[in-house]
Amino acid sequence: MSESAHRELTGPVAGEKNLRPGPCVARPDAAPARRRPTPFETCHATVPAVCLAGTVALSMLAAQPVCVGVSLAGALAFSLAARGARATARGLVWQVPMLALVCLFNPLFSASGSTLLFKLGPRSVYAESLAYGATMGALMVAGVLWLEDAAAVLTQDRLLALAGRRMRSLPLVVSMAAQLAPQLLGRAHAVRTALDACTAAGPRPGRREGLVRTSTLLMGWALEDSLGRADAMRARGWESGLPRTCYRTERLRRSDVAALVGLAALLALAAAGAWVACADWRFYPRMEGLAPWWCYVPLVLLAALPTVVAAVGRVRDRGLS
Amino acid sequence: MSVVPALSYEGVGFSYAAAPGASASGEVLRDVTLEVPEGEFVLLVGATGSGKSTLLRLAKPEIAPAGRLEGEVRAFGRDVRGLGPVESARAVGYVFQDPDAQIVCDTVWHEVAFGLENLGVDEGEMRRRVAETCNFLGMEPWLRMRTAELSGGQRQTLALAATLALRPRLLLLDEPTAMLDPLAEKSFLSLLFRANRELGMTVVVATHAPRPMLDYATRALRIEDGSVLPVGLGELAKAPSLEPVPRRGGPSACGDPASRSAAASRVVPASRSAAASRFAGEKDLLRADNLWLRYARDGRWVLRGLDLSVAAGEVRALVGSNGCGKSTLLAALAGALRTQRGRVRNAAAASQALLPQSPRALLARETVADELSEWRRAGGYDAAEVSAALGRIGLAGAAGRHPYDLSGGQQQLLALEKLLLLHPRLLLLDEPTKGLDDAFRARVAARVAAARDAGATVLVATHDLGFVRAVADSVSLLFDGEVAVTEPTATFFERSWLYRDR
Repeated sequence: MSESAHRELTGPVAGEKNLRPGPCVARPDAAPARRRPTPFETCHATVPAVCLAGTVALSMLAAQPVCVGVSLAGALAFSLAARGARATARGLVWQVPMLALVCLFNPLFSASGSTLLFKLGPRSVYAESLAYGATMGALMVAGVLWLEDAAAVLTQDRLLALAGRRMRSLPLVVSMAAQLAPQLLGRAHAVRTALDACTAAGPRPGRREGLVRTSTLLMGWALEDSLGRADAMRARGWESGLPRTCYRTERLRRSDVAALVGLAALLALAAAGAWVACADWRFYPRMEGLAPWWCYVPLVLLAALPTVVAAVGRVRDRGLS
Repeated sequence: MSVVPALSYEGVGFSYAAAPGASASGEVLRDVTLEVPEGEFVLLVGATGSGKSTLLRLAKPEIAPAGRLEGEVRAFGRDVRGLGPVESARAVGYVFQDPDAQIVCDTVWHEVAFGLENLGVDEGEMRRRVAETCNFLGMEPWLRMRTAELSGGQRQTLALAATLALRPRLLLLDEPTAMLDPLAEKSFLSLLFRANRELGMTVVVATHAPRPMLDYATRALRIEDGSVLPVGLGELAKAPSLEPVPRRGGPSACGDPASRSAAASRVVPASRSAAASRFAGEKDLLRADNLWLRYARDGRWVLRGLDLSVAAGEVRALVGSNGCGKSTLLAALAGALRTQRGRVRNAAAASQALLPQSPRALLARETVADELSEWRRAGGYDAAEVSAALGRIGLAGAAGRHPYDLSGGQQQLLALEKLLLLHPRLLLLDEPTKGLDDAFRARVAARVAAARDAGATVLVATHDLGFVRAVADSVSLLFDGEVAVTEPTATFFERSWLYRDR
């Protein structure tokens, strides 16, 4: 029997091992794939992009306790739906202390208000400035949560598909950079492993020297690769002189346009409501000027919308294993 | 009417533009005349550096090397120098060796569409071609994966897909499987074969290891000293494998042909007992007990309760399928990876060296001579030894060159020599012959054997069974995170159903 015939039988399914044996880089076999249904997967990327961008912008601009509370609640609910309890909890581990810190620090810097709670040395702590701090802290947390949610929904390739026709090389640049980062990390790990394993070569170089050695080595390696990559690009018609076209995996359908129009209307209403709510509201000297309840209705709808979409998706998926 | 060949070279000579300071003329090809009829599957064999890549690249003007070209290269009857980038991309496809360097985009679908986008193909046609290409190659399950998550074999299949999507009539491949493991190589070649037979694509593959391709090829050409001559496929099949390197001062534990034929005829061959007893009285230099290792908290176990012992002076080969944990085991034994459970006792922990899968992870200096001198102080060797080492690996004339300007085989030898200069008591080698031609495999084998004869203990993870037979005393088969079997080399090959080197 020939060597080739035997060789056929000597390996398993996976192909050649890449140079990323490190724990620092995601390996396909390292963990079972996290498969959580992604909300907004079945509509064009512009829909979640507009929805989430609008919500983030509104929550950042409406620094009023009720608006902020609504936004925070919406962001949290959507985070639970889109990212799961575990990821949300991991984020909250640092977000809650941040909120508390901002809340507590504000009275130390701005001693305004009329309801004196207590005195901390020479500083007076008022309920109003504490509330102001809490609102600002919650606003920051809500902003961060919405951005995390957006990242979970809009994967990089969906986001890049939104790039306009004039910026066609932008997606390419970004995707090359996105490839480079894990490759560099994997190689850095390979270089470090090799060096750590070569004890016969004497003591490890100092931290700084080691860093210089590794980065020089990786730079040379990447440059060498880039020559090969440039050839591979040219061999496939790069710089052919023809205008580049664009392969799109998503198409804007009529239903997407309808959703966008609806979203725009809701955003306008929510903005108007938030504007009224903020215009009447003041923290100092005492908190007053709460707008009537119907001002908040569009905002509540907007903040709840992503979670509702996620929930509807789940309901539609029921019966699937 | 004569049929126009897919590719033809007429009196082609080529010399590289002389590097400043170089006296040699740099002539690579001399009066090459050949024709490749349409629909053939042609192998272009020859040693590393013989000019295979140059010959192929000359047919693709966008990537042709800079230098002086004589004669004419024609694709489908047209001089390739007259082809624009668009015509060239449509007529001639080119697949490169390195699975890492030729992927441009970060998702699979985008990579397949990349060439079509460049050529301004409209969206409807693009959809059809991407769909058909992925169907043909069976890539649909991983269409939406990120390219960084793909294995080497998948990346190379993707490179093939990205080229096939352009529907070239002629496909040129430069060592496409050199970086793949045997199984990935087989599956890649079968896809290539289907492109040749089912799509009628003319295929020319440059390779230094033609054996796995012989079943598919219609003919072969050998390039030697700048000339190209036909060579019989049968002749390539008969090419000798790596010769065993006997131990200095005694018969090889496993290798000599006499004991091998005896092994075939007797139930308990003499060679086996000899090998078994060779290290019977030796103390273990390296011992691993119950090693458990995984890369992520919820990941699969790569090593699960692995036990291993290696005697002082032994050369042990680790074989097993891809992803079975060979590289991980080497790093764990070297103490460079932390295991979650288990213990490694390594008597040579302070005097060990690891050759990583890619020699580039070890090459950090500007010149070849600097490279060998990097660890001079720790290794306690002097400049004279460095130049002797350069001579041993045939790089005496290349001391001032950048390591990246060397061929893959030379880089591997250089990295190995860098380690051997340290005289490590324990040498850990990860796929030392990957991508090397027979001449370099033999040289690596000779250097490893020399280290063994000087008393080093060697642990080598490899897919190269010829190399195992040439240098290893014993073999451990890794499976499911454990050592499934450890036997003297001859016994292992003799009893194995799968693992034989010829």
